[in-house]
Amino acid sequence: MGIVTNYFETCSIILFGVGFATLMFHRNLIKKIIGMNIMDTAVFLFFIAKGYISGKEAPIITNSYKGIEGYVNPVPTALMLTGIVVAVSTTAFALALTIKLHEKYGTIDLDEIIRMKGD
Amino acid sequence: MYKYFPLINVFVLMITAFTIPIVRKKKIARELSIFSNAVILILSIFILVNVISIGDFHYKAGYPNTFFGIDWYIGSIESVLSVLFAFVSLLIVIYSYKSIEHEVPNEKIDFYYILLNLLLASLLGIIYTNDLFNSYVFIEVSTLASCGIIVIKDKKANIKATIKYLIMSTVGSGLILMAIAYIYSLTGHLNMSLIHEVIIKNYTQYPNSVLIILVLFTVGLGVKSAMFPLHGWLPDAHSSAPTPSSALLSGLVIKVYAFTLIKILYRVFSFSIVNETIILNVIILLGSCGMIFGSIMAITQKELKRMVAYSSIAQMGYVFFGIGLGTPAGVATAVFHIVGHAVTKSALFLCSGLMIEKVGSKKISDLKGIGKEMPLALVLFTLGAFSMIGIPILPGFISKWYLSLACIEINRLSLVIIILTSSILNVIYYFPIIINGFFGHENLEGKVYKSKSVSIDRMLPIIFLMTAMVLVGGFSKNILNFISTAF
Amino acid sequence: MKNDIVLREVCKFMIPAIQLYAVYIILHGHISPGGGFAGGTILSCSFIIAHLVFGRDYVKSKFNFNLLIKIMSICLIIYGIIKMYSFLTSGTHLPHPPIGVPGNILSGGFILPLNILVGIIVACVMYIVFDLFMEGGK
Repeated sequence: MGIVTNYFETCSIILFGVGFATLMFHRNLIKKIIGMNIMDTAVFLFFIAKGYISGKEAPIITNSYKGIEGYVNPVPTALMLTGIVVAVSTTAFALALTIKLHEKYGTIDLDEIIRMKGD
Repeated sequence: MYKYFPLINVFVLMITAFTIPIVRKKKIARELSIFSNAVILILSIFILVNVISIGDFHYKAGYPNTFFGIDWYIGSIESVLSVLFAFVSLLIVIYSYKSIEHEVPNEKIDFYYILLNLLLASLLGIIYTNDLFNSYVFIEVSTLASCGIIVIKDKKANIKATIKYLIMSTVGSGLILMAIAYIYSLTGHLNMSLIHEVIIKNYTQYPNSVLIILVLFTVGLGVKSAMFPLHGWLPDAHSSAPTPSSALLSGLVIKVYAFTLIKILYRVFSFSIVNETIILNVIILLGSCGMIFGSIMAITQKELKRMVAYSSIAQMGYVFFGIGLGTPAGVATAVFHIVGHAVTKSALFLCSGLMIEKVGSKKISDLKGIGKEMPLALVLFTLGAFSMIGIPILPGFISKWYLSLACIEINRLSLVIIILTSSILNVIYYFPIIINGFFGHENLEGKVYKSKSVSIDRMLPIIFLMTAMVLVGGFSKNILNFISTAF
Repeated sequence: MKNDIVLREVCKFMIPAIQLYAVYIILHGHISPGGGFAGGTILSCSFIIAHLVFGRDYVKSKFNFNLLIKIMSICLIIYGIIKMYSFLTSGTHLPHPPIGVPGNILSGGFILPLNILVGIIVACVMYIVFDLFMEGGK
């Protein structure tokens, strides 16, 4: 029954599996990078769901401070902001490498590239 | 005051890294890089002296007296490793001063030094940190920087190797992040010491979760540190990179992830928890396979740098073997092997880079008779190879000796056979190079004694590294005792 | 796309508005949601729109690549120095709630100066990455 009630966690684990499988088993580099992003997003969802406490506010102080009990846990959100920045930079780097690979080899199929002899 | 030194180390490297694009001059970039590395070395030695005389210490960045500041912990292993990393990287940067122009396009040299400084900063960060998420961020920075110093050569093979490395590392980072999410949801902390306190009380209720976390961490960090079945990226990446990069990657970068694994297994969890799960058996099995398989693959290689790269996989096998023993003696020996191998392997890579550059061919078969042309380089290479094989006094022998003792201590004599087999395999692939180098007569016609030998100032960093290696071997007892105080 | 008069005229109004909004988000980072990263991304969006609509040369005439990299590096160095200062004086840059007064720069500790620096860095990096991809990656 835990699977139904903790649907955030279930969903994120399924997404993680989808992303992991895409990253591992697709030959196309762009699809691999998409898989990587899905995998990262799944972890972000998992983490943020961990920080959420139902019935409490986002940790933003608007008018008056309500004490620690009034807000959800802000730490996972802050961590995931860092995680998003890391994921963005990795994606940008991977895409740039893919462009260069396409220039040099004329294909973005990883198996074909590995079969070709480098210089 | 010395409590601030770790933080200052990382900041000095980062700030000098970003000063380079403002000046944009090759010469200044190199000198800044050497200067910053020298500063790091001096500060690291201060840290080491203080840790020896006063003892380990914590440093909290952010709020000092709460549980959510980022905590840095510097104990005996951390201080030794930080001195080692600063020392090796300083010598590699000095080596690259004269030789980087041969391998990296001229307009990218300043960019290369930015990446080197960022890489060392992130490595030091991984060593010092006592916070899981902090170490994840540093791991990502180090991955991107090490991809950068491979791809900077801008050849076809480099780009191929880098994309392989990047994809594999991304899998690893995803698994590490998932493991951190798991451990956070289990304990509510990211600080390693606090996680340890929580988990030591409650782990009996969550045996499966603990096992999942351990597997995720082991596979994730194993990908990055070339654990046996996950090593596919390493030979390409380390052999195609420019020589200083290969020395840095093989000597330091893969080691730091193994050290992170040690921290997670034995500081976040503990010997007793980890020994109850099957993860140690898996690690020891994979380590043994890596020792044997890496050596066998190294025998079949025809290119010098690829052979040295496969030898790295075999040597990482020893580190995982030590981790997998699950006793304080085994883990301390693994750390000692990290120290010895970092010095030796970076010197071997620099040596082989010099030989390849002078001969003009990557093939092992073209290196016959090299001993007549470059005697000093081959003597240094031989010294490094002796340490890999396990000639007494040199660090390679000492770590094998203590690993065997640790095996005997827990009555697993069959493991000693694996160590011996691997040593014999090491002999098979290092000796032909040395023997053919000194005594090969096949293509000696027209070669004059010392005709191609390089000037002594380019050899100086290698000589220093080799001296350090012999010293590590000589003072092994003190180093091992000092490392063992951490457990 | 460069010759579409409707697009060009609309963008002439849009881009300053976007930039103003970005600056607002950056400057209000210490009292409301938002801050350096979000604001910097929006700021870089305005550059990207200008690049797409008016062409690369137009943006280059305003600030070239080397200048962007230099601004970014200087900001990173200042960021590092401020952070080092606040860490070495044991973390006084994060204030306890309640926080921040509009108009008073240091009322939220160092948060506002750091936000401004982060905003500039993110804007520069995002635009540089976009430009590299448009040019085919150098």
